[in-house]
Amino acid sequence: MSTELAGSFSRSLRARYESFKKTFFFFTRSPIATIGLAVVIFYILVGIFGPMILGGNPWKTTQIFEYNGIYIYNVPQPPSLHFPFGTTFEGYNLFNGVVKAARIDLMVAAIVVFSGAIVGTLLGSIAGYKGGALGDVIMRVTDVFLSIPFLVLAIAFLVILGRNLTVMVVALVLIWWPTYTRIVRGQVLSVRELKYVEASVAAGASSFRTIFKHVIPNSIYPIFVQVSLDFGNVILTLAALFYLGVGFAGYYTPEWGNLIGLAASLGGGLPAITRYWWTVTIPGLAILILVVSLNLLGDGLRDVMDPRLRR
Amino acid sequence: MKMYVYVIRRLILLIPVIIGVTLITFALSHANVSLLIAGYLGRVRTPQHIAIVKQELHLNLPVYEQYFYYLGNLFTGNWGYLAPTEVFDPGTPVVVEFQRRFPPTLELAVFATLLVFLMGLPLGVFSAVKKDRLTDQITRVIAMTGVSIPVFWFGLLILIAVGPNSILPMQLRLVGVGQIPPSYYYYPHSSILEPWVNTKVSGLTRPTGFLLIDTLLYGDWQAFLAGLYTLFWPSLSVAFTSFGLIVRFLRSSMLEVMNQDFIRTARSKGVPEYFVVRKHVRRNALGATTTVMGLFFAGLLGGVVVTETVFGWPGMGRWLFYAAIGGDMVSVMATTFVFTIVIVTANLIVDIIYSYLDPRVRLE
Repeated sequence: MSTELAGSFSRSLRARYESFKKTFFFFTRSPIATIGLAVVIFYILVGIFGPMILGGNPWKTTQIFEYNGIYIYNVPQPPSLHFPFGTTFEGYNLFNGVVKAARIDLMVAAIVVFSGAIVGTLLGSIAGYKGGALGDVIMRVTDVFLSIPFLVLAIAFLVILGRNLTVMVVALVLIWWPTYTRIVRGQVLSVRELKYVEASVAAGASSFRTIFKHVIPNSIYPIFVQVSLDFGNVILTLAALFYLGVGFAGYYTPEWGNLIGLAASLGGGLPAITRYWWTVTIPGLAILILVVSLNLLGDGLRDVMDPRLRR
Repeated sequence: MKMYVYVIRRLILLIPVIIGVTLITFALSHANVSLLIAGYLGRVRTPQHIAIVKQELHLNLPVYEQYFYYLGNLFTGNWGYLAPTEVFDPGTPVVVEFQRRFPPTLELAVFATLLVFLMGLPLGVFSAVKKDRLTDQITRVIAMTGVSIPVFWFGLLILIAVGPNSILPMQLRLVGVGQIPPSYYYYPHSSILEPWVNTKVSGLTRPTGFLLIDTLLYGDWQAFLAGLYTLFWPSLSVAFTSFGLIVRFLRSSMLEVMNQDFIRTARSKGVPEYFVVRKHVRRNALGATTTVMGLFFAGLLGGVVVTETVFGWPGMGRWLFYAAIGGDMVSVMATTFVFTIVIVTANLIVDIIYSYLDPRVRLE
């Protein structure tokens, strides 16, 4: 009995793997989406290995530094061979900062998006499959969360629970599930009516088993698209919170929004950042390139996973 | 279903949402009682004073009674007092600050929404009609950039381009010197802080608080144009970062509608392409687009909060920013509530307009 179960499990796994291979083939047919995937993988590699190679605090290592006979402390240096991205105010090596920010941003985005997706999927499948009063309550709570602008809600959480990175992650997780709940519920409502779900119920499977074995695996594909799109949104929100200085997790947290915020506030405002343009432009470009690639990836996934467009 | 029945039903459906929102704001504002008390007393708080404040805020009662007091205060306009932070006078009622802060934000948001529709609808339609052609690719790149660009970064780039150090002629620059942090709400090209009205000299006031309406009321065309110019740049910053969503959604729903049978019928009976696109495709695609409006407004208001901080716009977003920095929780909760009500109202208006345009919605 158990071997039979395991066999059916591995068979279903193999079927999923085959369909994944086919999906991936269609995905690589689109050059733009492949470029997006490549850039995202590059960022992930930078996030994993960059801090290991560079090491140290970017501020402390360059704070006292003599360069061409100039004691640089507060004057930003333009991009050069020694400082590939230049230095920003107070002698902060921008290259170090931008590379290290990749780890923090991607880590926070991954935690937030995946926990949001898991919570949202569970709640959405319960609300869609069970329906009734429980489903109604879940959907009303979702409506409430969706009608509060998430940036404002995140700021409120940060003010009340304390301003540090942990609270920021928790706050973003608390904010990020409703979109998934709504998407999954819509999917589940249509999957619920299909024959194989009916067969599973008729065979006497518990609703737990039906949900986890038949309903969720077949309604999860839109979630992948939303995850890749939401990665970018989380990174943008995180950068905005850091830019505002609301998510102040230490003065020199290497985070792209924080680097921009520091340049805009430390340098004495607009005249300084107009003159030392790289202090603002380069971290912003780092965000822009990553988020554009994530969106390209998401669009590519959507095109591939929408069967109406493929066949 | 008659129109008014639909509106009433839609209004009744709002009640649970608003109750839920008040529950969340109540839970958040009473989660950290010491912060709530600090907002009233400041850093020095003796036990006697704490006891008085607790008495006044009904903090000794059971939680559900506290909630009803909170609801009562919320709906009678008793929103508490500003905390003693650096920028605000302590003891100003939050409602007074709200009345001063709300019009600039509403003006910015409405103008940005107008810009979004002016840019987004033609681009979305154009992109779908010219699918996979060069114009479509360019439009998609623009929309993609708009979705992906950080709002504050785009605002800073705009300020680098049109700010005091730009290469533009002096008349076209936004100059906000004379105030730290700089504010670009005032006249362009004045090197000193020049307010829109000087009540002490001319006796004029700001009757509505909206820049464009006030300048029009006084009939000063130059001031009106200056107001338009001042309003344009932050609105562009907000609009560019939120119009990508509309363009992308409109394009995909246009393409979906174009594949349907009634479009082929319309084409085959000889309806000109112009009318097919305008009357048959666009009207049906716009309906689907209203489903993302809630998401759109949430993103737009988030953009407004950040943009107001970048441009020094004296609205709700800048207030929220200062309150968050200074730990003024009463103001934070008030702005959260107001922003939510704005979004809920905007969604309501969109739904009502849509049900007027497409009566099928009312039949559900």
